[in-house]
Amino acid sequence: MKTKISILFVLILLYSIIIIPFTHYMKERPFVEKMGYLPANDALKFLSADQKQAVGASLILKVLMYFGGQVSSKDIEVKATIDYKAMSRTIHSALHLDPYNLDGYYFAQAILVWDVKQYQVANTLLQYGMKYRTWDWYLPFFAGFNYAYFLHDYPNAAKMYMRAGELSGEPLFKKLAGRYLQQGGQTAMAIAYLSTMEKGARDKSIRESFHLRIIAFKRALLIEKAQGRFIADHGQRPSAIQDLVLAGYLKEIPVDPYGGKFYLEPDGSVNTTSKFAFAGVMNH
Amino acid sequence: MFRLMLVTFKGIVRDRVLHGVGALSLFFILIPSISSLSMRQVVELSTTLSLSFISLILLVLATLLGSTLLWKDMERRYTFSVLSLPIGRAAYLLGKYLTVSLFVFIVSGILTLAAVIVINVSSGMYPPDRPVSWSFIVLCILFDAMKSLILISFAFLFSTVSTSLFLPVFGTLAVYFAGNASQQVYEYITAGGGSQLPSIIKGAATVLYYFLPNFSSFNLKTYAIYGVQPNFQSLWYVTAYFIVYTAIILVCASIIFCRKEMN
Repeated sequence: MKTKISILFVLILLYSIIIIPFTHYMKERPFVEKMGYLPANDALKFLSADQKQAVGASLILKVLMYFGGQVSSKDIEVKATIDYKAMSRTIHSALHLDPYNLDGYYFAQAILVWDVKQYQVANTLLQYGMKYRTWDWYLPFFAGFNYAYFLHDYPNAAKMYMRAGELSGEPLFKKLAGRYLQQGGQTAMAIAYLSTMEKGARDKSIRESFHLRIIAFKRALLIEKAQGRFIADHGQRPSAIQDLVLAGYLKEIPVDPYGGKFYLEPDGSVNTTSKFAFAGVMNH
Repeated sequence: MFRLMLVTFKGIVRDRVLHGVGALSLFFILIPSISSLSMRQVVELSTTLSLSFISLILLVLATLLGSTLLWKDMERRYTFSVLSLPIGRAAYLLGKYLTVSLFVFIVSGILTLAAVIVINVSSGMYPPDRPVSWSFIVLCILFDAMKSLILISFAFLFSTVSTSLFLPVFGTLAVYFAGNASQQVYEYITAGGGSQLPSIIKGAATVLYYFLPNFSSFNLKTYAIYGVQPNFQSLWYVTAYFIVYTAIILVCASIIFCRKEMN
């Protein structure tokens, strides 16, 4: 009996030595390892049998938890190494299993569009969703924004916003459709869109992600307005943001919350080296 | 036959199957908190998890009860004493089948009640954009139960031909997976995806499609979760298919069971 207790004691001791590095390893695994390597979509559909909706939902929750864990980190480099492409693949697989799952489209639009910058892929995904969620105004609302803001395809943006207006009965979308046709005020429009999204966001990490992006755009808008005043007074564009500070139109160069630096594009539009995303810092 | 059914039912209850289902059902308590992780569809996720969990319990019940009930009687040679009574072998098999079916329906009813409570709690906490389709949820569980009854008939069929427990258990599971995939495979082959395949394989796949149960038709989860209206006329076809298909399997099982030599 004594020997058995001693063996048990030694085993518990060994367990407590192993468990800390083991837990650390499990926490730090890359996303694809955490998710497990997903089989091809058709094989996944076959293996899910009659549990396709549950498997799809669990894949999306895994992505959300991974993302939530990464963005809660204070370290900007950790945030910048988020595996967006693997997340995108997983969301696509989940939506292949359950094309009705709104969480998948919402996450793709809220995070992946901005960070992976595959706008056309996103709109194809949204149009795939529209075939199933025929009552849902969210999907044309998302697609309309992508068309106008990222792809500068204003006729399609207006078409999508008209559809969102018809489905929701909200005159606001029809007004937006008209405003998108004017092509102006891109930054102000992005702020309006992101504020609408932020209000409806339930998940903390998603809400924070919207909030941060709104801050970045508000700072870009601040530079745009200062530039407008500069042009009105001097009749020409400033060569750099620094000129706006020196001329007293800005107190200082606003700080990009994504860790990048604001600059003026040759056409005068305000941009940042981070491209308004953590991933942009690493790519730059 | 009624007495046989009563004894069988008491046997199932004595084996504490209901206790097992009750213990598993504790998972329902967790569903509202898991669903609250969803970004835009908390109630839909609650419904998804509830329906999937019910499907899973019914699958386990169908596989284990269906596979062990008849097999256990033969293994323990209880059949000898029962068959000496004025009851035919076919009636014996049918009595057993009807008892398990009744048990599955009772469990489905209890689980439906649990699901309704859970979904109600979630929709109270996070009101959904669209109203919950209670009638579709009940319909979905009813068709899931019908699917389980087909599986049980297969488990009985395998029990009549096998002396080991492996064939009924793994055979039933194989039928479950094949039955869920048959429609998808058939559509892939006929829609041009199988143009590279030899014609003999395409022919074999088509024969298998008609031979295997089509469980895709019993899956109404999408309608129940997202409140999309199903085609009610097609559901009558599915019901007719269920009755005829189950009857065929049970008749096959009873033919084999009647001819079986029991030493």
